[in-house]
Amino acid sequence: MSATLTAPQTPRSDDGRRRPTAGTARRTLARFLRPELLPIAGTLLTLVIMLVLGESRYGGERGFVSVKLFSNLLQDNAYLLVLAIGMTFVIITGGIDLSVGAVVALVGLVIATLLPAGVPLPLVLVISVLIGSTFGLLIGVLVQYFAIQPFIASLAAMFLARGLANVVSVQSLAITDEGFSSMASWSLKFGEGRDISKINLSMIIAVAVLALAFYLLHYTRFGRTVYGLGVGDDGNAVELMGLRAGRTRLWVYVISGTCAGIAGILFAFYTKSGYNLTGIGMELDAIAAVVIGGTILTGGAGYVLGTGVGVVVYGLIQVLIAREGLDSWWTKVFIGVVLLAFVILQRAIAARKKK
Amino acid sequence: MAPTTEPTGTPVVQMTGITIQFPGVKALDDVDFRLFPGEVHALMGENGAGKSTLIKALTGVYAIDAGEIRVADRTHRFSGPDEAQAAGISTVYQEVNLCANLSVAENVMLGHEPRTGPFISWRKMRAQAAEYLARLHLDIDPASLLSAHSIAVQQLCAIARSTVVEAKVLILDEPTSSLQKAEVDELFEVIRELRERGVAILFVSHFLEQVYEISDRMTILRNGRLVAEHRTADLPRRELISLMVGREGAELDAIEDGVQSAHRERPADVVPALAAVGLGRDGSVEAFDLDVYPGEIVGLAGLLGSGRTETVRLLCGADRPERGELRLAGETVKISDPLDALHKRIAFSSEDRKKEGIVGDLTVRENIALAMQTMRGVWKPLPRKELDEVVAKYMTALKISPADPGMLVKNLSGGNQQKVLLARWLATAPRILILDEPTRGIDIGAKADIQKLVTDLAADGMSVLFISSEFDEVLRVSQRIDILRDRRLVRTIANGPEVTQDTLLAAIAAKGEVA
Amino acid sequence: MSDVRRAPAVPAWRKVTQHRLFWPVVALVVLIVACGIKNPTFLSVEIRDGHLFGQLIDIARFSATPLLLALGMALVIATGGIDLSVGAVMAISLAVSLTYLDGNPNADSAGTVVVAVLLGIVVALVAGAFNGFLVSVLGVQPFIATMILMVAGRGVAMLITQGQITTVTSAPFKYLGSGFVLGIPTPVVIAAVMFVAVAILVRRTALGMLLESIGINREASRLAGVQSRNITWFVYVLAGMLAGIAGIVYGAPTMAADANNIGLMKEMDAIMCVVLGGTALAGGKFYLGGTVVGALILSTIERAVVIFHIPSQITPLFKAVVIIAVCIAQSPRLREYLKPRRPQRPRSIVPAALAVKEAV
Repeated sequence: MSATLTAPQTPRSDDGRRRPTAGTARRTLARFLRPELLPIAGTLLTLVIMLVLGESRYGGERGFVSVKLFSNLLQDNAYLLVLAIGMTFVIITGGIDLSVGAVVALVGLVIATLLPAGVPLPLVLVISVLIGSTFGLLIGVLVQYFAIQPFIASLAAMFLARGLANVVSVQSLAITDEGFSSMASWSLKFGEGRDISKINLSMIIAVAVLALAFYLLHYTRFGRTVYGLGVGDDGNAVELMGLRAGRTRLWVYVISGTCAGIAGILFAFYTKSGYNLTGIGMELDAIAAVVIGGTILTGGAGYVLGTGVGVVVYGLIQVLIAREGLDSWWTKVFIGVVLLAFVILQRAIAARKKK
Repeated sequence: MAPTTEPTGTPVVQMTGITIQFPGVKALDDVDFRLFPGEVHALMGENGAGKSTLIKALTGVYAIDAGEIRVADRTHRFSGPDEAQAAGISTVYQEVNLCANLSVAENVMLGHEPRTGPFISWRKMRAQAAEYLARLHLDIDPASLLSAHSIAVQQLCAIARSTVVEAKVLILDEPTSSLQKAEVDELFEVIRELRERGVAILFVSHFLEQVYEISDRMTILRNGRLVAEHRTADLPRRELISLMVGREGAELDAIEDGVQSAHRERPADVVPALAAVGLGRDGSVEAFDLDVYPGEIVGLAGLLGSGRTETVRLLCGADRPERGELRLAGETVKISDPLDALHKRIAFSSEDRKKEGIVGDLTVRENIALAMQTMRGVWKPLPRKELDEVVAKYMTALKISPADPGMLVKNLSGGNQQKVLLARWLATAPRILILDEPTRGIDIGAKADIQKLVTDLAADGMSVLFISSEFDEVLRVSQRIDILRDRRLVRTIANGPEVTQDTLLAAIAAKGEVA
Repeated sequence: MSDVRRAPAVPAWRKVTQHRLFWPVVALVVLIVACGIKNPTFLSVEIRDGHLFGQLIDIARFSATPLLLALGMALVIATGGIDLSVGAVMAISLAVSLTYLDGNPNADSAGTVVVAVLLGIVVALVAGAFNGFLVSVLGVQPFIATMILMVAGRGVAMLITQGQITTVTSAPFKYLGSGFVLGIPTPVVIAAVMFVAVAILVRRTALGMLLESIGINREASRLAGVQSRNITWFVYVLAGMLAGIAGIVYGAPTMAADANNIGLMKEMDAIMCVVLGGTALAGGKFYLGGTVVGALILSTIERAVVIFHIPSQITPLFKAVVIIAVCIAQSPRLREYLKPRRPQRPRSIVPAALAVKEAV
């Protein structure tokens, strides 16, 4: 009567838990040697190479790799981390959001305009985040209800955000509001003298967003539905499993937009100004961080913590280029090259899987 | 061990007068269906019979236009798959509709995932999934990705998912189409156990052997209507097939009587125009031998899913064969892609007119010119005059209407779209013409036109491979008929006056050694 | 027998209103008339020194760059792709040309300028070939592939100009942007020539039909023998080359290679011209003639903004709104929503793919 498809069952204790056996050990090992972890291995390898490179070239007596290095990296790229986290959601579903850089610019200008106009700071911050959410909602509606391809919908939203930013101002506006400045400059300091490292508000927010995203993606039904959408069948499987495909897809874009709103604030903390031409190409930086972090560009697999590593790699590229004395536009070229390498790596893995 | 008595008690599913209207066609017309607890019920019918539509009505994917669905004595109007699932109906689809990129545990448990506070408890989820899987004798790591497992195991995972919700009704839509024999046996073992537990199982399969092996009763649909409900044991397979295939009306026979393929003697020294020797492809069709001589029409007959399409796709560059060889007029050739096939004078008209045939937003003229043009290359356009002549010639010959070559092909009726496709392939002057279901879903007049044309072409020396689900059509046009069953070419029958539909039915229904 | 249907007779006026260029042309005419009423000199064209002058002529002149970009973009979009790198490619080709002139003592000789221009175009062609390789051979999604160049391309342009704004003086080069040929501004002539050349290339060969066929139904095209890889690649090369020419024409009047700003957001202009011309962003049929109308509308709007004393910063916003509106209008879903709905129709929430299978 009974048929067994694979090896005999692992012995179980009464509470249904597996006893550790050779089988479980093998499984645990197998869990870490899966082909889908190959991109993340690429991520870690890149990270290590960059760190080693940095250490060997600029290590000197004080060392290159230090708490301060990471503190600075996070401080300089907190906005990018938040952007990339939102982008991770979208890319896992197989979509894309090209509007985020423009939203950052728009939010910066809105802050720089509203604060001198006497709008209270908390309200300005809420409005900023909501601007992002609204753009996300717009893209989500276009994608979900009008069946417009995500890149077209978000491209249109990018044009819209840039257009609005132009209307707000074509000048670079400095943000001089005291409350805002003190929020931007508040920090906890650690260490002594030249090894001093800081934790500022941007870092705390970015890490909090990361933690929240990690929770959402890995410990909620919503998050798992996000992954399910990325299987590449227009959400059929997810829908047929009785999960909410449409609503989830809409939310993913709202999340990305909201993250762009938050990132806009963080970027304003960082630059203390708003300018309509900021954030050009920032969407590519975010995509690059996500892809370098091991998320598959065509969707279905990825890790938001990997995105964190991707941002660190991005920051290291910047640092190394600065230390090499190269001009900052080299960063763009390098990011392009690294992104391309990872995209090609992913294509190669996908092609091999097919065979 | 299969219960052979008429099921007693109340049906768990009772569908009455179900009607579903698609734009321009009634997909289901007043269909009744019932399903009892503890039975395996086969839903039978050819392509377009309405099986999938009925299943989708029951699973809440389609809303019904008329009729009533009662599940466990409650009337339901499902507005989505989630509601049908809540009513205790679970479905395992042909292509496993789970998320291959998620873990086995998630695929089994998601929607009913155990939590600790606001967190999914992965430990509990894996443990519970393992238990459900163990009940199906499946011992795989719940944390592994679904995609790491064979289709058979994925299917069992889908069934495990249905046991999580304690489904009263389990729908298995073509679950065996990609399985090996041993895997089918294991699946059937699970099905029998579920039946013992009182689950009502709706089983759809194109494999007659399997239907007879596993099912207790069957409902037969044809053209969106209910044909019959029978106990499996009481229905000989030949009778089943004729119920499924049906017979066309006298009207069609009258029109088509004029079409009859000429039987001609073939000189002994003629080489086949096309010959396949041991051609095959894994997961598609088993190695087969097939030949067609100049001026000959060879019919390919078999039920849907028997491998007819897969067979011809290996001959024309649409798919690449993994073994065997292909000979054209005695010469061994390799065909790298469809363009290569066209240059070697092989034209293939796909059965999927919409997705693989017409280019909807282009005009009739452009659609006809397409293949001819690709053969000439991008830079050598057909001179307008020549193009107009060719287009006019085929539009007249095939009676394409409206007679406007500038019309977008998507605005034509199905029959006329089919004729446009025929014109496209004929314009390439092929020596070998492969037609996959060229008359499906088109009106009787167009059908007769196409049949006539095919026989005329063969009379002029063209070799034709002709696939059709309608046996009388195959019999009418072909000189020889290759019979396919279960992805395998099993027999070749020389057509003649003594060969009838029954001959084909018998050949297809013959108990084979193949699963 | 087959029913012989006739195409229903359409009255002449309906034929005109139903023409896909009807509304774009109406929009263009309304814009021009409105500007003419507000500012009567707008419509006057005069001949000075044998050259045409006037605001309408300026509009034609400013249409040249977006038209050049949009010609390539239309073909790329027809195959179902997109080219976001056109602006960056403009910057690269201009940077190459001007850098070559900058280091050359004979910057004023026509021969040197020809070499400079050819160099710029060849580099743009290589950029296009790079995009095409990523898309057609490696199968990278078009927006990612071209976005890499969109961002990194500016870095490359910076590299070429050493991060400086390279300015040179070269009369023959300047002539490309602000000269006249037979009284007509050179950019207009260049754009017209390229338009005719591209039109001949796609409509006098089978290229146009085949790339539409790819954009409409890739699998059906494959089975009909269409070599979509080569065709797709070619189209990206062409788009790159046209962007290169656009960069030179655009930068010639000022002769300043500002790698950061040349061609910035020009991909939006190109996309807008394409969609205004009736080509769907989802791919398929494309209309080069419509693209010309789109380019004229674009530069007329930019001019109208000045005439009506509207803050010019609003133009990009307006463009964005137009693009979104056209996108929504082209969405097949919109037509579904607008149709009167019967209760309890079969839904197609889920299985677009399954439903297709069913309907076959």
